[in-house]
Amino acid sequence: MSASPVAVMTRGASAGRTGRARRRLTRVPAVIWLFLLIPLAVELAWVFWPAVNSFWLSLTRWNGVGAPEFIGVRNYADLVSDPIFTEALLNNVVWVIGFGGASVVLGLALAVALNRPRPGVGLYRSAIYLPMVFSLAVTGLFWRVLYQPEGAVNAFLGSVGLASLERQWLADPRTALYAVLVAAVWLQVGYIMVLYLAGLKGVDPTLEEAAAVDGASRWQRFWRVVMPQLKGVNGVVFAVTVIDSLRTFDIVWAMTRGGPYNSTQLLSTFMYQTSFTVLDLGYGSAIAVVIFLLAIGFIITYLVRASRNED
Amino acid sequence: MSTSIQVTRRGLLAGATALGASALLSACVTSGGGGGGSGGIVLQSSLSDPAPKAVLTKVVKAYKGGTVTLNTVAIEQFRAQLSTYLSSSNPPDVLTWYAGSVARDYASKGFLLDLSDLWRGDGVAAHYSAALKDLSTGDDGKQIFLPTNYYWWGVFYLKSAFQQWGVSVPETWDDFLALCEKLKGMGVNPLANGIGSTPWMASGWFDILDLRVNGADFHKELLAGKHSFDSAEVRAVMKRYAELVPFFDPNMTSYAWQDAVTPLVQKKDAMYLTGAFISQNIEGGASYDLDFFTVPVIDSSIPKAEEAPTDGYFASAKTKDRKATLAFLSYLGTGSTQQEYIEASQSSNLPTSPDVDTSGFSPLVQKGLAMLSETKQITQFFNRDSSDALQTTADTALTKFLADPGDVDQILKDWQSAAKKVFEQ
Repeated sequence: MSASPVAVMTRGASAGRTGRARRRLTRVPAVIWLFLLIPLAVELAWVFWPAVNSFWLSLTRWNGVGAPEFIGVRNYADLVSDPIFTEALLNNVVWVIGFGGASVVLGLALAVALNRPRPGVGLYRSAIYLPMVFSLAVTGLFWRVLYQPEGAVNAFLGSVGLASLERQWLADPRTALYAVLVAAVWLQVGYIMVLYLAGLKGVDPTLEEAAAVDGASRWQRFWRVVMPQLKGVNGVVFAVTVIDSLRTFDIVWAMTRGGPYNSTQLLSTFMYQTSFTVLDLGYGSAIAVVIFLLAIGFIITYLVRASRNED
Repeated sequence: MSTSIQVTRRGLLAGATALGASALLSACVTSGGGGGGSGGIVLQSSLSDPAPKAVLTKVVKAYKGGTVTLNTVAIEQFRAQLSTYLSSSNPPDVLTWYAGSVARDYASKGFLLDLSDLWRGDGVAAHYSAALKDLSTGDDGKQIFLPTNYYWWGVFYLKSAFQQWGVSVPETWDDFLALCEKLKGMGVNPLANGIGSTPWMASGWFDILDLRVNGADFHKELLAGKHSFDSAEVRAVMKRYAELVPFFDPNMTSYAWQDAVTPLVQKKDAMYLTGAFISQNIEGGASYDLDFFTVPVIDSSIPKAEEAPTDGYFASAKTKDRKATLAFLSYLGTGSTQQEYIEASQSSNLPTSPDVDTSGFSPLVQKGLAMLSETKQITQFFNRDSSDALQTTADTALTKFLADPGDVDQILKDWQSAAKKVFEQ
């Protein structure tokens, strides 16, 4: 007696679910469909179609005028033997590690330091986040002034007796990439900090207190109690950092345009230069495809690892 | 993990909205950039600097022959999209551009309107000089370009600075080197330049030294791919260039060409090989202090050649209103329009129309005019005589050379292999 109504109810529910689902579909008003389909059409036409096209273009020779000429994988073969591409790829590796590493470490450290409410903390947080409101191009121009031979950086070094370290930061191929990197990290740190601050708000303080009562040191509490709870934020930060570092373009373009002699060339600036200055759109598309594969490779590897850890 | 999904979804939505919106916006812009048909014609301009833009706006407004819509686009974007403008089904009718190989290339693909009518009979350009006509002629013998102004390159200096240092304008190449040596001894950087974010400035000296050492014909052929950059002739040019390397302002690698004007005005640098556009960047009292001389002769058997880049307009072959387009171009080409444009844009540009009364122009411009009229051959500039693709190979090679002149063999070898790729395209 007690079991049968439950059985009936579940059977009734599962039988009714498909019918209800169908009804739910038909019950969606036409206006909603319109709202869904129009963005989908826009997305397909303006995002996916051009993206697919760039795969096709990478197999052609095209200067933007007339019909593209199919040349197979020659653009990719040329890439392998292109010294500028190799340099850009290596620079990009330095960039991903330097930009990603520095902004995550600094952003996390700042978030932890500024997490506890205390007087004036809001001021610090906004001051650190402030650079984020500037566009990358403006940041680039601003830092270019600082790095000028008579600029603030050299003036500072001179005033503290380190004149021997003064140099032309953006014009010296040995320092140019790192000089741009510092400017980019300066901008990104505030963003990463805000992401981690949001994550830290979701951390359960009682767990940390309990660990403290059990005698865990501050270091242990952070790594064993807080960090595991930041897993979700870490995923976002990783994705944001990898994508941001692979698409970095404006700040490098504003500061050095890939120079001096290609020493700050990233894949993105090389792609832009090839496509829009040299107008070799086939070759440029091949570089774009490489960037796309790298980004998607990173993200998929990460997602696979993350889901494996969860199992 | 749930937070991450939320953020991603929201980000995706925001991104999609932004993309959709920007796609729609750019669609509007593109259609706005097209030609007008019955609604008048469209002038697509890359003159986005404040002074030239303001004057062109005024010039367009004063046109009585019909409606002309002026679209101004920053030069970088203009350059990148030029092929798209021309190949679109509804292109702008008139476009700003410069004479040289790029225009000829577009003409050979059939994108440009035949402007021969303007160059004969009582056409507006019928009395322009033969050199300008030659420059505006495509491979099939038809004129496809209307030059409206040009400027010269020279070694600019301040008269008061030379007076202060007790030096005078050099007559020969050896004089020039001796002057550099003397100025350097006085603690002045003899040569200014700005090859940081404007690395193409390094081609200025390359061009002029090639004109002096090998002559204009070789130079044009070299830039057309008929000679190797890894040749004895180019090596001879680089030998002269290497003589100058110790005299450049050591900060030139950090400067853009505009930045390099400052040490010149402050008398920290003495001489600057650049275009006459430098006068726009010198304000107030220093502007009449500005003077120039041409790079001294190195080989007297070589006919004298100078660089004089020419700017102007061409028209799209697909214009909906050929008559209106030609009428508007005629207006832009007349002496009075040119005079108004040059005087108001604060430039030291020279008019192409012989009808312009140049007696009111500054002494500097008069001197530039006289210098060019004595010149046997005129070239444009590295990228104008070749292509922007070849220019990027020159930028890499020459900035590297200026940093390390001892590595010239390897640099020229790399330059040639990069140039070969460009020509094979």
